Amino acid sequence: MTDTSRNARLSGRIAALALLAFALVYGLFGARIEYAFASDPIGPRGFPVALALVLALLALWYLARPGEAEEWPGRAGLGAALAFLGTSVACLLVFDHAGFVPSMAVLMAVIARLFGAGWITAILGGIGQALLWWLLFGPLLGGNLPKGLLGF
Amino acid sequence: MSFDFLWQGFGVALLPQNLLIGLIGCFLGTMIGALPAIGPINGIALLLPIAYTAGLPPESTLILLAGVYYGAEYGGRISSILLNVPGDAGAVMTALDGYPMARRGEATKALAISGISSFIGGILAVVGMTFLAVPLSWLAIKFGPAEYFVLMVFAFATLGSMVGHEPAKTLIGCVLGLMLTTIGLDATSGAYRFTFEQAELHDGIEFIILVIGLFSISEVLLMLEHQLKGTLRPLAVSGAYPSWADIRFIWWPSVRATVIGFVIGVLPGTGASVASAVSYTTEKRLNDKEGTFGTGDMRGLAAPEAANNAAATGAFVPMLTLGVPGSGTTAVMLGALMLYNIQPGPQLFVEQPKLVGGLIASMYVGNLLLLVMNLPLVQLFARVLLMPNWILIPGITALSILGVYSAYASVMSVLIMFGIGVAGYLLRKLGFDMAPIILGFVLGRVMEVNLRNALALSGGDPGILFASPLAIILWIMAGAIVILPWWLRRRARPTAVPAA
Repeated sequence: MTDTSRNARLSGRIAALALLAFALVYGLFGARIEYAFASDPIGPRGFPVALALVLALLALWYLARPGEAEEWPGRAGLGAALAFLGTSVACLLVFDHAGFVPSMAVLMAVIARLFGAGWITAILGGIGQALLWWLLFGPLLGGNLPKGLLGF
Repeated sequence: MSFDFLWQGFGVALLPQNLLIGLIGCFLGTMIGALPAIGPINGIALLLPIAYTAGLPPESTLILLAGVYYGAEYGGRISSILLNVPGDAGAVMTALDGYPMARRGEATKALAISGISSFIGGILAVVGMTFLAVPLSWLAIKFGPAEYFVLMVFAFATLGSMVGHEPAKTLIGCVLGLMLTTIGLDATSGAYRFTFEQAELHDGIEFIILVIGLFSISEVLLMLEHQLKGTLRPLAVSGAYPSWADIRFIWWPSVRATVIGFVIGVLPGTGASVASAVSYTTEKRLNDKEGTFGTGDMRGLAAPEAANNAAATGAFVPMLTLGVPGSGTTAVMLGALMLYNIQPGPQLFVEQPKLVGGLIASMYVGNLLLLVMNLPLVQLFARVLLMPNWILIPGITALSILGVYSAYASVMSVLIMFGIGVAGYLLRKLGFDMAPIILGFVLGRVMEVNLRNALALSGGDPGILFASPLAIILWIMAGAIVILPWWLRRRARPTAVPAA
């Protein structure tokens, strides 16, 4: 057996266990949904509990036959993905305070850099895109984007 | 029934003034549709006050709004095909085969096919509407909760086509989609389910948040991986249009999808997203013998495109004949009619022949205008892909964020979208398909609510699900879609196979 297919089976099994755990948690929360009255015989708990049972059974099937999966990225890939997601979340958390243009300019520049632009090109491109999208979705289409630091 | 209204209508629609208004509507609609989250509702809501204050007569206003509506249906697939970012709910299934075609360098062809099948769906549905609008309106009344539930059973039966060589993954995807629909306020009992006291979750996960996360954010993560491996190459874009053979190839799938889409569109409460999902899975069930659906099969692109345009037209039927809007956009158009003191209903065709006829005639003209306008434009749109990745991918991210933020004005929604995107990335790496998740999500809520309403009506007696002739017909159709392909395969097999 090759390393690749062994890795694929391992990641499939881990995913199956995660799904099983999720089905359990979802089912427990589903069974404890509070409600005052139900006008129908099934009630708000019926569907979630049934779905949790089905998912649990399917997860066991998946555990037994994990099938194929792609290779996971190495350390560099993980770093790049975290850089993308981290910057996105950080920019979104300050989105309402800093404003659309500054936070998007930073995010666009970081993504451009991740996709191979040089620092200067990335920064100029980021600022350019942020302004372009602001112009299109703000003044032109009448959208309501956060103003923030720059006051527009 | 006489068709005086239609002749009068063409007289109105072909006036130079109204032709120009229709053209403007189609163009604006295409542009509005091409941007994610800004859909026909926004366009119409924006233009309606302008048209009213400009003193346009009601038929011209309706022609303008219908043009925007149609144009948006054509434009909504552009970002779906080119960038894997669905422009609106009806364009999700389009991405499944359209995006792989674009990655292969066939962006122009994919966009043209989408335009042509949209035209087939749109024009055939208008023909259907011309002749069947009044008789069909009874269908919309006959559909009670039990019938809607069985319709959803039928839709899930078409899912059989999705079960590939790893059935567990397909079914898990479908259940995950169903689970997502249980988040939020339960309409039947008023209970909050899985909201964890977060106000943002009270209305549940919005469709557009789910699809933008699943499709475009996970796509950016995948591209990032390819970028590091050095396997992300700039795309080639061939300018080739589809050939006549291609058009013949997509003709029957488009026609079948039109029928499905039109009927689903007529029913209030099920819209373009259900229509395109069901027609896609039906086509896959009937035709996917080589397993090419999902890898850039033209039929998989044409079917949902024809279906969602047909559904968009079908939604007008209950709006005009009953005053019941079949979609959010037709609800806004109903508002437009009322602004002009026009009361829709079965009598509208007799009392306002100029208006109804003008609207229907403008749909014929509008579809033709859109086809003619779209075919040369696709060359221009396809060039978007020639931009370097360091411009294109920040742009995809910006459109995803703006799509969600401008619709819900909440950063929390955008963060949820990113979370869904990460989950989508993990599932895609593990070999899961996105389509079953979407299908489960689209059908889940309609299915649960109607099953429970039906049982509430009957006092818990499941017999109500088989009580009406319509329900029985739907059960038979559901059975047929499961058995038919299997039976056809058996028949196609040479008889020499021993019966052991």
